[in-house]
Amino acid sequence: MEIDREDGRTQNQLRPLACSRNILNRAHGSASWSQGDTKVLAAVYGPKSGTKKNENPEKACIEVIWKPKTGQIGKLEREYEMVLKRTLQSICILTINPNTTTSVIIQVVNDDGALLPCAINAACAALVDAAIPMKHLAVAICCCLTESGYVILDPTKLEEQTMKSFAYLVFPNSILSVLPEESLLVGGERMEHGIITSVTHGVMSVDDYFHCLERGRAASTKLSDFLRRNLQRHQTNPSKAG
Amino acid sequence: MEINKQLGSPASFVDQTVVPGDVVLDLSTMTNKTIKLGGGLRQDCDSISVMKAGKLRSSKPNKYWVESSQKRYVPCVEDTILGIAVDSKADNFLVDIKGPALAFLPVLAFEGGTRRNIPKFEVGTLLYVRVVKANIGMNPELSCTDASGKAAEFGPLKDGFMFETSIGLSRMLLSSPTCPVLEALGKKLSFEIAVGLNGRVWVNAASPYTVVVVANAIMNSESLSSTQQIIMVDNLLKSIQ
Repeated sequence: MEIDREDGRTQNQLRPLACSRNILNRAHGSASWSQGDTKVLAAVYGPKSGTKKNENPEKACIEVIWKPKTGQIGKLEREYEMVLKRTLQSICILTINPNTTTSVIIQVVNDDGALLPCAINAACAALVDAAIPMKHLAVAICCCLTESGYVILDPTKLEEQTMKSFAYLVFPNSILSVLPEESLLVGGERMEHGIITSVTHGVMSVDDYFHCLERGRAASTKLSDFLRRNLQRHQTNPSKAG
Repeated sequence: MEINKQLGSPASFVDQTVVPGDVVLDLSTMTNKTIKLGGGLRQDCDSISVMKAGKLRSSKPNKYWVESSQKRYVPCVEDTILGIAVDSKADNFLVDIKGPALAFLPVLAFEGGTRRNIPKFEVGTLLYVRVVKANIGMNPELSCTDASGKAAEFGPLKDGFMFETSIGLSRMLLSSPTCPVLEALGKKLSFEIAVGLNGRVWVNAASPYTVVVVANAIMNSESLSSTQQIIMVDNLLKSIQ
């Protein structure tokens, strides 16, 4: 049964995506990612030598700074910074440049729902632009649960506020491989079906959560395709530097 | 569609854009062969996967690498680069090379260098140097002599103008046969140029006007093809005549 969404989308439809890379002259890597009206700008500086005090010097350190559109930096921004830092640490290869710091700066340009997934996607695209070595890419999606028990994807701010609960899910991107499928399975399942990060708000039952996961996984393939096409287009026409 | 099954040779991914995570080579089908991996690829048990997004290239018989352009430099042995002196210690000069760590230039790594004639470099001096050692986790080591101990144009660069570019552009400027931009500029203007593989370019000429024209032409040529570059240079030179 379909439910009506305000902007006329179906349950599983995502808002229009746009991504551009190498937009900031001074940053070593930069990207802007927008999903509908939510837009986030990410800049990457590094790797630079030296790590912070409590960090392991045998690995590269990733530092995230979140700049909100308005207002002072508070607990919510710190939480986003921590989630982003843990997510990026799990996709970057940290042993290649030990004792270095890579700074990722996220600037919120507009917030219209699904802000953290948009920021994770932007940060990932900026890391690719800066050529930081990574194991694979991450694609993030927001799934919410309505009062009537339906799962909808990529909510706007109004929809987010009326939801019973929502979950931000981050999956690895889908990869192309020369190996036959069997040897790529990890523990009996395909790698893309793994999950990197999950942040939930509100109350949902376990079945609803698994339902969200399924829908999120299906949508993550679309996001993966979009990211891959975007990277292919940019490879043939590198933008100016410096 | 998630995983594209490509049974057969790795030639299927060569010259295509690859994204971090793609598995491009299956080592279990290539026993008893030596494969050389360049930048952007890493070995994951029995397969080679991609670390950086770019075009996968290969050269016979067995070299594979990912070609991509970025702004930061990854130090490699035998690269000639432009560094900026930031400090001097008892045994080494500390040089910034746009990489993950500062590089060391030993005070004796000059032609005829002894403890009595150690050069003095101010902070900010531009140096044309060669990378001697580049290991993970250690600061790279540089030298102002070539492999046989001669000076060979290495050392401080005086006057002129230095600007930064991406790594891909500096590789293109150093490609042989000569890059179209430099050829077209060289036919009409006279200047000297030093290109560092770490994305720094130094230009010097008799008049500042020539320096500015050359620098602008090079910076504009990043995403242009050969014919477009020649046309761009012609237009630039015509519009300022």
